[in-house]
Amino acid sequence: MSTAATTRPGDEVVIHRVVEKPMSTRRRVGIGVAISVLGLLSLLLGHNAQAHDARFDLSQGSEFFHVPDLVLPVAATAYVIGIILLAVGAYQAVRGFRPRGLRIAGTGIGALFMLAFLSWAASGGKGSTIDLLGVLENTLALAAPLILGALAGVLCERSGVINVAIEGQMLAGAWAGAMFGTLMGRFGGVLTALVAGALMGWLLAVFAIRYLVNQVVLGVVLNALSLGLTGFIYDAIMQPNANTMNTPQVFQPLQIPVLSKLPLVGPLIFDQNIIVYLMYALVILIQWGLFHSRWGLRTRAVGEHPKAADTVGINVLRVRYVNVILGGAIAGLGGAFMTLGSVGSFTKGITSGNGFIALAALIFGRWSPKGAVAASLLFGFAYELQTLLSLVAPPVAIPSYFLAMLPYLATIFAVAGLVGKVRAPGADGEPYVKE
Amino acid sequence: MKAVKFAVIVGASALVLAACGSKPTTSSSSSTSGAAGGSATTSSSKAFTACMVLDTGGVDDRSFNQSSYAGLTTAATANPAIKPSYVSSNSQNDYAPNLTAEVNKGCSTIIAVGGLMGDAVKAAAAANPNQHFAEVDASSSGANVYGMEYNTAQGGFLGGYLAAGMTKTGKVGTWGGLNIPPVTIYMDGFYEGVQYYNRTKGKNVQVLGWNESNQKGGTFSQSFTDQNKGKTISAAQVQQGADIVFPVAGGAGLGAGAVAQSSGGKVMVIWVDTDGCESAAQYCPYFLTSVTKGITDSVDKYVTAAASGAFPTGNYIGTLQNGGTGLAPFHTFDSKVPATLKSELDQVKADIISGKITITSPSQPK
Repeated sequence: MSTAATTRPGDEVVIHRVVEKPMSTRRRVGIGVAISVLGLLSLLLGHNAQAHDARFDLSQGSEFFHVPDLVLPVAATAYVIGIILLAVGAYQAVRGFRPRGLRIAGTGIGALFMLAFLSWAASGGKGSTIDLLGVLENTLALAAPLILGALAGVLCERSGVINVAIEGQMLAGAWAGAMFGTLMGRFGGVLTALVAGALMGWLLAVFAIRYLVNQVVLGVVLNALSLGLTGFIYDAIMQPNANTMNTPQVFQPLQIPVLSKLPLVGPLIFDQNIIVYLMYALVILIQWGLFHSRWGLRTRAVGEHPKAADTVGINVLRVRYVNVILGGAIAGLGGAFMTLGSVGSFTKGITSGNGFIALAALIFGRWSPKGAVAASLLFGFAYELQTLLSLVAPPVAIPSYFLAMLPYLATIFAVAGLVGKVRAPGADGEPYVKE
Repeated sequence: MKAVKFAVIVGASALVLAACGSKPTTSSSSSTSGAAGGSATTSSSKAFTACMVLDTGGVDDRSFNQSSYAGLTTAATANPAIKPSYVSSNSQNDYAPNLTAEVNKGCSTIIAVGGLMGDAVKAAAAANPNQHFAEVDASSSGANVYGMEYNTAQGGFLGGYLAAGMTKTGKVGTWGGLNIPPVTIYMDGFYEGVQYYNRTKGKNVQVLGWNESNQKGGTFSQSFTDQNKGKTISAAQVQQGADIVFPVAGGAGLGAGAVAQSSGGKVMVIWVDTDGCESAAQYCPYFLTSVTKGITDSVDKYVTAAASGAFPTGNYIGTLQNGGTGLAPFHTFDSKVPATLKSELDQVKADIISGKITITSPSQPK
């Protein structure tokens, strides 16, 4: 595997193209067999289905175009999907998709299998309808802090600083958002959350870049610092005066006229609160900026080969400082989503490990913004699926402990089957010292 | 070297601040030595030192630690001879050392909080047969241990009956923090209360998120702190048609309050452990009621009795009869709950006490 940098005439942007070796026969057949197994599972689900129909509510909350409930004959749906998956699996085993095609096919396979699975699950309980929009909205709400946390990670790690402190930065943001959101209004809360996250980012930057502290150890220590500090302030100030210190107004969804009335996508994209809109903007901005702007090129250069970047006159340390502090601010926004965009009060350790899941999403998403978003959404969906399956009572009772494993099972499957080998930025975690 | 020094400073300050989180107003496990214990016993020969070993979560967790310590301070206010103190546990590894330290300190009685401490209490009680112990949320494990347990399935039963009588959609939801008996006992009671309502009224109110006959199933957040997850779980139950949600998940349950708030009054919440209008006042307008667990009261009674020289022995089981569990006032919903439903609830309560209604939850204290 080699990385070729090509320059197009008249275009100063460098495009990384990863040239991959053709897939080994074993891997090709293995993936094909895995897809076929999913196909067989679908057939089994069709065989096991109890009721005849599964009902999906597509248009709750949208009056503009009313889409009737999608009613699928469970057995037939599962059988058809099973046959499609078997065919795709056979094609993969014999001919093999290209890596890019495989990723697209993999997403399609996942979606089809999920459809068969959900149809089967919904066929168990009497009259249970799966509110598809609700499922997607909950997925987004669960994924939003992960997306923001993972974006923070992208900024830091692409410039060569490992950020294990996402959790701590989020916690600081959640705390500042709740407390200053109550004192100064919710916009003041968002602003202070950004500042609090940035301050935590600055601490990481100073110790990692200036004092060359081991970045993983440093991240763990900063998480402890944040947990202790916010917990102390919560105990000392916020909890005794909950009414004046810990009751921020939550951002309500802002409807964008017309667009928000579109079925399914409307409420999902155009009827969200301001933090989610900010998140959408950040995803697009960072995805574009990282690969098409001067800042992005410098960031990647510093993260891959700081010495080379330095020789062409890029201030390595400054790029790293800026990125780490910006990353901290974005993680802080992720924390503010929890207290200002979702619930409306801070409690000790409210981030509950979301920062670490964000870190996993970053790696799983191959250090790219859009990959991190996809991974975060997958985690969010797995959490939501866990709730959904426990509510609709599928034909076969699934133990709650097994459901709790879902997010992690999904990760293992996706990492092993779809993502393949991941490679961190070349200088990730290595401090740069000028000779 | 500079780098190492700074790492040490950051690490040390983090530890100091983390320690601040649990208010070191009283002795911590490490500072208690034999010498300190000696001075404590000599200087207060008349005083009754009641020492509490808290579980993880801190003294102000709005849950069992806080309720337990409140019981101790209530007793101390009424009887100045009682000298209360507590140590916090930061992890399960602290249980045994904390208990040993309190024994060495010469406490008149040691109150352990939390069922998870059961094994550590049993060992400490066996090693110190003359030391009096009490434990919240566990049964007696020795002649010198007083167990305090709460049959919250009874309170949950009333909550379920009330929810079934108040729902407009015919569906009510419940979910827990973890699938462990202290949580699922509430859900069992709630489920049974709804089934009892269906049986006596010929209705068909459904319970989402828990079915007593399938103890391995159910909806759980796997966290007692993640409010955002609590919100999405509550929202999912509302999407499935529930209009009353009963979260049994400590702080994560506050997410249900957020869902009720954004629903504009369509969704009601039944709070757990303490009266929600006191412990989470911002959501009081959405709390139909709370299913309470009378930890404070039972700890208060134990300490008061022990200070008078009569150490209670055996087990205390909090029930509807002795006020160890029950329903909190309806607060804002007082005018909205029909009078007939209120009198039915009184009847159900009397029937549970008299044994006319039997509760089948496998998690009940025996």
